[in-house]
Amino acid sequence: MNAPQPALVAPRPERLRLVGQRRQMLAVMHQRLMFGMLVYAGLVALIALRILYLAAFGDHAGRKEGLTAFVPDRGDVFDRDGQPLATTIDAWTISIHPTKVIGDKLALAQKLAQIMPERTAEQYFAMLRSGRPFFFLRRRAAPDVVAAVNALGEPGLALEREPDRLYPQTSLGAHVIGFTDIDGKGAAGVERAFQTYLADPRTRGKPLVLSISSRVQQALEAELGDAMQHFSAIGAAGVVMDVHTGEVLAMTSMPTFNPNAPGQGDPASHFNRATLGVFELGSTFKPFTLAMSMDSGVVSGPGQMYNCPDVLPAYGHLVHDTHPFGRQCSVAEIMMESSNIGMAQMADKLGKARQEAWLRKMGFLDRVETELKERGRPLTPGSRWGPFETMTIGFGQGIAVAPLQLAMGYATLFDDGIYHPPTILKVNPDHPLTQGRRVFSSDTSYRMRSLLRLVVMKGTGKKADAPGYRVGGKTGTAQKLINGHYSQTINITSFAGVFPMDDPRYVIVVMLDEPHATKETYGFTTAGWNVAPVVSRTVSRIAPMLGVAPDMRREPNMSEVLPFVQEAHKKQESSKD
Amino acid sequence: MSARSFGSLFMVASCAGAALGCYLVSLRVASERASLEDVETKIVLAQRDMRVIQTEIGTRGRLSQLERWNAGAFSLSAPAANQFLEGSFQLAQLVQPQKPTDFSGQVVLASAPAPSKPTPLGEPAADTAEPNAAPVATIPGGLLHQASLKTETREVPARTVSNLPQATAMKSADKPVTAAKPAQHSSADKPGLAAAHPLPVKAPSAKPEPAKAAKKKMVDKPALGAAKPMTKHAELAKNDPLAPVPAKHLGKPKDAPPAR
Repeated sequence: MNAPQPALVAPRPERLRLVGQRRQMLAVMHQRLMFGMLVYAGLVALIALRILYLAAFGDHAGRKEGLTAFVPDRGDVFDRDGQPLATTIDAWTISIHPTKVIGDKLALAQKLAQIMPERTAEQYFAMLRSGRPFFFLRRRAAPDVVAAVNALGEPGLALEREPDRLYPQTSLGAHVIGFTDIDGKGAAGVERAFQTYLADPRTRGKPLVLSISSRVQQALEAELGDAMQHFSAIGAAGVVMDVHTGEVLAMTSMPTFNPNAPGQGDPASHFNRATLGVFELGSTFKPFTLAMSMDSGVVSGPGQMYNCPDVLPAYGHLVHDTHPFGRQCSVAEIMMESSNIGMAQMADKLGKARQEAWLRKMGFLDRVETELKERGRPLTPGSRWGPFETMTIGFGQGIAVAPLQLAMGYATLFDDGIYHPPTILKVNPDHPLTQGRRVFSSDTSYRMRSLLRLVVMKGTGKKADAPGYRVGGKTGTAQKLINGHYSQTINITSFAGVFPMDDPRYVIVVMLDEPHATKETYGFTTAGWNVAPVVSRTVSRIAPMLGVAPDMRREPNMSEVLPFVQEAHKKQESSKD
Repeated sequence: MSARSFGSLFMVASCAGAALGCYLVSLRVASERASLEDVETKIVLAQRDMRVIQTEIGTRGRLSQLERWNAGAFSLSAPAANQFLEGSFQLAQLVQPQKPTDFSGQVVLASAPAPSKPTPLGEPAADTAEPNAAPVATIPGGLLHQASLKTETREVPARTVSNLPQATAMKSADKPVTAAKPAQHSSADKPGLAAAHPLPVKAPSAKPEPAKAAKKKMVDKPALGAAKPMTKHAELAKNDPLAPVPAKHLGKPKDAPPAR
């Protein structure tokens, strides 16, 4: 239609050219318009699609992210029964911004001193006038203090909530659980060993379950604490361990501290005697020497006889006994009366090379293999390890190990001779039992049962017996090394026990550092008088909790050892007569 | 024609309707999800509150605190090995069955009459025929009188008097409630042996309480009782577990209040 009609009169060529130009321009304009429209429509369509998409799949405005599960700021720590041992709470923190204070500073300082008397009004006033921007006044403040401070109405005072670590059982198991520093980082114990697990947002939602049983821990701490106070000891340590899995059910070190306020109290109380401290634990070592000797074929059995003079001269030294036999005695008697002389001969026959190999196999020459970072390095004679040192190690002197290590040794010996590293975590599907490794033969393990039961039935450990629970074990009284000399009066006494001896399930190791004699002990400071009763009382308390039923009629097979002892008794009696 | 020209309009309308329907569905889903999230938020908040409360309870009831109470305040100690039992059978063994002979003790009631004798006043109680009631409580004569008011049997008094000397009567009378004694008499009577005296009348009334099973035994005893030593028997009656019941029934309302 718009096409130019043929004119009657031929237009001038310029005009024709003009028409062609116009048409061209119009076409361009159309194209541009169309393009603009398309862009616009595309934008609209884009927005519309986005709206539709959001309507179909998007979130609504009030959506709260990350609240679908409660994740504490630091993971909880539970005991094996699910009781919280460490948890995180929101605590109030009171702080002050002196530059923002608008009221009368002197009056404010006086009021603060009334509410929080840990500082004087002068100190508060000095803070307010210091010109510094910020001070903490109190962390983990009690609600009534917070309310009182809030009532002051001073904008310069800041009240904030801050996650804080709380240990509901206070000092219970303090050395195992440890504590956190002011920034919430683990500084000791489990808090330190599992810092990454407890702090990592991916794992901290799931509590860390320890092998500790708080009831067993409480029983051990209560009984050990009583004994420590009663005998005026400077320290104590105790371990209860599952023989079959290596789980530590209770572990304590005394004096203890309150992890809620680790800064208060004696810093020395933070020292974990059970894992970090190494002690010469004396005669509690003898069962190991005997087991090594039996496994190596040096000792044939409980009936083998040794010559036990009153004093044994050896390698330029003299070995003494507290209960000298002065005659031939059997291996069973050597254990029963804890004879150094008999054990020294056994160790001598075993020899240094074999002894060292055995100790290494048992893990007594390295740091104890457990999760805690506080682990002491055992002390050995080292380069001085000669034949006489072999003898002294045989009866427990000259080698120092941690009490946890001693418990581990007993667990190995009575778990059919199989070693499991001690663990502080509960053995469950998340933390399965590791494959153990054999140290002693099954037969040796079995024969040691009646020997150690004998010690408690008739020997030095009578006071450790808990009727019905078949406790077996060994006392240990070691002279303490003071200024390079063994003191004749200051001891470390220990007892390592196993129960029930007819089917060993639990090990208990108890140690007192420098106990003093009392009237009831008739002046003695030996283990049979002070730590053995602790074991008896503790076992009576914890065995029922652990599912060990008392039975007065069950015993290990005592016929293996009794024949070699009763003769001796008769002899003794006749000689006395 | 018109339908065809509106066709596109229908298309647009139906598309718009479908889109709107879809949108409504998604809106509905979103709102459901929102309310679900609200619930989840509430759960989380509740969990946090529970944590706070559990922490507080756990801290206040911490084991060292319980230990302090148990060892200090209550003096509790761990159970000894012999305190554990292996089952219900062993537990049952610890309980001694009660001896049936106690019933025979009731028979003793018959003897009770002796005390009654001393107090003729007691007779009234006798009517009630409460054998055991005779818990030897001390009762002044006045009380006895009251009892008598209620009951009618007079024969008893007569016989009691005859049986025992007055002096003795006084002593025993004080306590045991006249009722006791008469009752016993009655029971005694029944056996027939007592025959003492008032059998006929009492027999009927007495029947109720006196042990049925005991009857036979009673027979023997009554004879003795009648002879003399009622007092002894009376004491036994007190001890009897069964005695109190009858006493409450009859004795209390009338005599007992002051005595007990």
